[in-house]
Amino acid sequence: MADLAPQIPAPGALHPLNEAMIRGRHTENVTVGEEIIRHRLLSRVIHWSVALFFFLALFTGLPIWTPIFGWMAHLFGGLAVCRWLHPWVGILFFAGSAAMFFHWVKEMKLQPNDRAWLGPKLWKYLSYAEEDPEVGKYNGGQKLFFFTVGLGALGVLLSGVVLWFPLSFSQLLRELSLVLHDVTFILFAVAVIAHIYLGTAAEPGTFESMTRGTVSKRWARLHHPRWYREVTGEESRRR
Amino acid sequence: MPSQNLEIRQSSASLRGQGSGLRHLPNVSKYIDTSTCIGCKACEVACQEWNDLRVVHTQQLGSYQTMPSLDADFWNLIKFNELEIDGNLAWLMRKDQCMHCSDPGCLRACPAPGAIVQYENGIVDVNPEQCIGCGLCETGCPFDVPRFSAKTGKMAKCTLCVDRVEVGLEPACIKSCPTGCLHFGTKDAMLALAGERVDQLKGNGFANAAVYDPSGVGGTSVITVLAHGDHPEWYGLARDPQVPASVRFARSILRPLGLIAIFGAIAGVFGHFMGFGPKRPPPEGPGPPKSSAKT
Repeated sequence: MADLAPQIPAPGALHPLNEAMIRGRHTENVTVGEEIIRHRLLSRVIHWSVALFFFLALFTGLPIWTPIFGWMAHLFGGLAVCRWLHPWVGILFFAGSAAMFFHWVKEMKLQPNDRAWLGPKLWKYLSYAEEDPEVGKYNGGQKLFFFTVGLGALGVLLSGVVLWFPLSFSQLLRELSLVLHDVTFILFAVAVIAHIYLGTAAEPGTFESMTRGTVSKRWARLHHPRWYREVTGEESRRR
Repeated sequence: MPSQNLEIRQSSASLRGQGSGLRHLPNVSKYIDTSTCIGCKACEVACQEWNDLRVVHTQQLGSYQTMPSLDADFWNLIKFNELEIDGNLAWLMRKDQCMHCSDPGCLRACPAPGAIVQYENGIVDVNPEQCIGCGLCETGCPFDVPRFSAKTGKMAKCTLCVDRVEVGLEPACIKSCPTGCLHFGTKDAMLALAGERVDQLKGNGFANAAVYDPSGVGGTSVITVLAHGDHPEWYGLARDPQVPASVRFARSILRPLGLIAIFGAIAGVFGHFMGFGPKRPPPEGPGPPKSSAKT
């Protein structure tokens, strides 16, 4: 650092970020320079597959739900195309969600204090009033979102199959599915809006964890102190 | 094909601007007298012919009914029921087709704008060009009338021969009836006719004779005289048909609530961003990360 001579990198040496990304193809939860690999390539591919199918299902489903979003149908060639495409995209979405569920479920095991995130703790977190030094790789809110997505995917799948082939099911099941599909998707949409916001604008540095797979040490220390200590072996500044 | 000449009163999946209300037309109605129907099936044939529908194979059901239920290519079916009532044998025949409800459940449930329309004269019609073949109309209909056609991928049902009615002709089924048990006219005229017939039936010993014009769906544009009006189920008619509560709930409550929730969530995250801003790690240096919250 104090050396004033121009630093010429050794041949073949990589920028730490490039090195992190190469290692991130197979490994995560390790430090590379000032970066920590948070999501290895497989995790990111699964996440974006689910996101892609979610939005395809959303944009083909919204115009069927209400004429307010009728214009979205034109993106796919009309409402009849949406009616045909939506179930197939939905199947892909469910398949992706199921893969994602089993990929992450071990890390998402709810700890006793995670349940507090359903209560005032969530607001303390959102109002920046309190940081919990015991937050590991995922905080309680993220875990709850994870299980919401899992349950939601199952809900839209089961009701969606009935709506796909209405004539093969009883009147009662068809009516239940109509309501369940709407309720599940509304909860889903609201949760995803919060998810996107927290993953982008609200917490700078978070989005990169899902693109190039790495976060800065400072980011990790703020948002996931226990994970930071585990990964780096360092003591977090606090405690 | 939807009528080009009749004004639309309401249309599926449309929020505003469905009809101008400029031209006022009286509600029309079919009149069906089950007590004088002889089950000749002329109306079935006339319906098939006028509407150019494909041939549907009949089925031997051991009764005088042509097939078990309506079909995407068979919009008018004489339902047959054999009963012993007070020691007498009764053959109950009822012409089954779309009832053309004032408050149509199919139209409420339909997600495709303009696929199901109700004209100013009360006729409920389908527009195959707009139909997306989702089948929700079958869930919404309390009379089990709309039929999905796997051949066309569209829903089909009786149009009340709107193409004939709009040029001043009566529907094909009415035209073909040899006993005069079918009539067509304004709903008021048909209700008056039905009232007379009910009185006649009462005089002939059918004390419970009644007109079937169910109020749960706002009345229908097909009214049916039943000699045994206290037992509509004997004729295969629901006692008190309603648009399913789930369809009403999904469309009238869940949809607006969902829109409020979704746009509310978007407003909420903008509000949060303006009120709290992005959460950044505190500047490098000693001190607990907690201190950033106090500034």
